[in-house]
Amino acid sequence: MELLIALLITFVAFLMALSAKDTVRLLISLELMFAGVFLAIIPLFAKIPDTAFAILVVAIFTSGAELLILISAIVILDKLKRGVEIQKISTGGDTE
Amino acid sequence: MDLNFITNFITILGTLTLATALGALLTRDNFYSALYMSLTMLFVAGIYALYNLQPSVVLITLVFVGAVGVITIAIAATYRAQSSRKISLAWALVIAIVSATLILHFPSAVSFNVLSNGISFLSNYLLAVLFLLATMVLVMLSTIKIIKEVGR
Repeated sequence: MELLIALLITFVAFLMALSAKDTVRLLISLELMFAGVFLAIIPLFAKIPDTAFAILVVAIFTSGAELLILISAIVILDKLKRGVEIQKISTGGDTE
Repeated sequence: MDLNFITNFITILGTLTLATALGALLTRDNFYSALYMSLTMLFVAGIYALYNLQPSVVLITLVFVGAVGVITIAIAATYRAQSSRKISLAWALVIAIVSATLILHFPSAVSFNVLSNGISFLSNYLLAVLFLLATMVLVMLSTIKIIKEVGR
């Protein structure tokens, strides 16, 4: 059950990331993906609880680092381009 | 607790988790989207609580709802754009088909008992946790430096 919910939440987050028009929405979608990851870890607690807890701790730290980097990216984007819209990002993907 | 009660409660919490995740996707306001995201995290912590995994509940609630959620809500309130949605129908269709296939064919009889809450990890691997904390502080200092350099 947890794995199914985890997969569905990850799908919702993917759809959100694909349809995001600004970077704030992208940040929220990434955090939703982590919610899916946390749910997917639960079955591991039945077999290897210590490893599962270790994976959970590392996932939480990873998400914290992702949040820090994305927030600084949003702030820098706002400073340089006067906006946080996805269309204002002109490198790292399609360029106009 | 009765296993049947836990299974039913997890189904209810799982449905609520999915509903709030969909709310985050469908709302047009970034602020409400961040609020729905925090609610999703709370429900995830609730599912952990049902399995009696207290350290994980504390970590998820404090770090995710307490820190990450609040920061995201603050940022979403700052950039509160009411942008029109642009959900790609092609992607939505693919995701709907995959989700429907999973729901129909997912083995519903998978059940497990959580044996331990894994708290001994913290005492056994204290050095690893300290290393992660140090790395986190390094990332924090680096981001502050980058933002300061861009601000000049």
